[in-house]
Amino acid sequence: MKEIIHWLFPDLSSEVIQVIFGILIVLTVASVIVGAIKIFKPTAKIDEVIARTKSWWIMCGIFFSAVFINNVVAYCFLALLSFFAFRELYSVLGFRDSDRSALFLAFLAIPIQYVLAYIGWYGCFIIFIPVIMFLILPIILVIKEDTHRITKSMAMLQWVVMLSVFGISHLAFLLSMPAPDPNQITVECNAGGRGLLLFLVVLTELNDVMQFCWGKTFGKHKILPKVSPNKTWEGFIGGVVSTTIIGYFMRFLTPLPDAYAILVSAVIAISGFCGDVVISAIKRDKGVKDMGDTIPGHGGIFDRVDSLSYTALVFFHLIYFLSYPHL
Amino acid sequence: MKNKFLQPTVMKIIYKGFCRWFLRIFVGVNFTDCDFLKKEKQFVIIANHNSHLDTLSLMSSLPGDLLWKVRPVAAQDYFGNTKLKASLSSYFINTLLIRRKKNDPQNADCDPIQLMADAIDEGYSLILFPEGTRGLPEQMAKMKSGIARLLIKRPGLKYVPVFMTGMGKSLPKGSVVPLPYNGIVHYGEPTLPQSDDPHEIMKEIEEKFSTLKSLYGIKEDDDDD
Repeated sequence: MKEIIHWLFPDLSSEVIQVIFGILIVLTVASVIVGAIKIFKPTAKIDEVIARTKSWWIMCGIFFSAVFINNVVAYCFLALLSFFAFRELYSVLGFRDSDRSALFLAFLAIPIQYVLAYIGWYGCFIIFIPVIMFLILPIILVIKEDTHRITKSMAMLQWVVMLSVFGISHLAFLLSMPAPDPNQITVECNAGGRGLLLFLVVLTELNDVMQFCWGKTFGKHKILPKVSPNKTWEGFIGGVVSTTIIGYFMRFLTPLPDAYAILVSAVIAISGFCGDVVISAIKRDKGVKDMGDTIPGHGGIFDRVDSLSYTALVFFHLIYFLSYPHL
Repeated sequence: MKNKFLQPTVMKIIYKGFCRWFLRIFVGVNFTDCDFLKKEKQFVIIANHNSHLDTLSLMSSLPGDLLWKVRPVAAQDYFGNTKLKASLSSYFINTLLIRRKKNDPQNADCDPIQLMADAIDEGYSLILFPEGTRGLPEQMAKMKSGIARLLIKRPGLKYVPVFMTGMGKSLPKGSVVPLPYNGIVHYGEPTLPQSDDPHEIMKEIEEKFSTLKSLYGIKEDDDDD
């Protein structure tokens, strides 16, 4: 069995394969449980959970095959994810007709940002959107000479690009990470950039699921009732604790020592929650339930990557600080 | 009803094989299911009109085998002003050209309603934009009563209300390049008109559109100050 997998996917490390298998097993167990509930208790209201579980299969299938088989495909896939997220976010926020050319330019930023991630040019990658696009986009808006509500457009455009392109592109840069500095406090790890990416994505998504489950089961005290009525303190704390525990057991994907792995997992859980409520607040403001209807049971792309756009930045810079100070 | 050389296949390839994917992946149009149209013998699709993408999206949403049997009603002065444009659009879009101007001296013998009724008699279905022209993004203008007169002229003909969002934002009047923008093609149910008075029918159609909008929670232009 092991030989066959290594023959099929020669450049996947055994750590990554183990985790992917683990997730597929967890999904299978979850599907069996959900199916059993549906059969033995047909009155239970779990149609949304069934749709969600089905979508998880599809999302895992697409994500694993796109990101872990071929590196170029992985960068293209993540760029496409940014594109969808970007489109979805500004479609919900709305824009003026005179913003069109700036939006086209912002689209051009996506391939550039991902090429920078691909060649691993950190210095340019890290300033391209927060500095270069930050300065160019307002000028493009100004050239149109339509100043009515231009401040809103300037602020919104930059924010949307930061969240959907800059944030998600850090997932791609993780793939370009070199081996960590041996002089730092690190442990032996040969999962590489893919391991880091898998660690981040799995923890973030599991954190979403954990917070949802804990909240559904024990939720009593609302945390931000005016923003997201379903979020509770019980869900939040339960989510953070279980994510930290899972992160501890998945630490072999990263070069982090035990204590750091616990810290990083907890920070991922907390920032994931933050990303989630930030997008919830926007949905509330715009009066929409979901950001789109691309994924059945989940809503739009951004309903799934909302927390990721936060955790990617936080995790990347944490691990950069902890294990890669020489870069 | 006769199709031009290879037209059904060519249209199927263009709309189902290319346009639909372009609209889905690049522009971000979400198509709701409209397979129920296969069961209808004939129908008139009534839709709001904000963009050239409207016709493209409607054609791409239709079941592939029906494509060549559905003719979008288009303005003679826009799509038929040159011979080349007229023949291209008649082959690739299968347009039915009508004259919009009332006081056109040439118009006397080609009444638009009669032209549409003739196409119905031949066995075609139609796509009609009763607003008459492309309006402002995300806003629906007053509909003209031509559709009611057609429905009265051909009793038993069903109409299908379709409401589209996002098209006017993606490619508004006057723009050339479509901007990616999430939009949806919402299909209503095929309906027989309940009355034979044009005003009543128009009222009925407007109600259908407002239920369609509330069903999908669509708000028209929510620009706040």
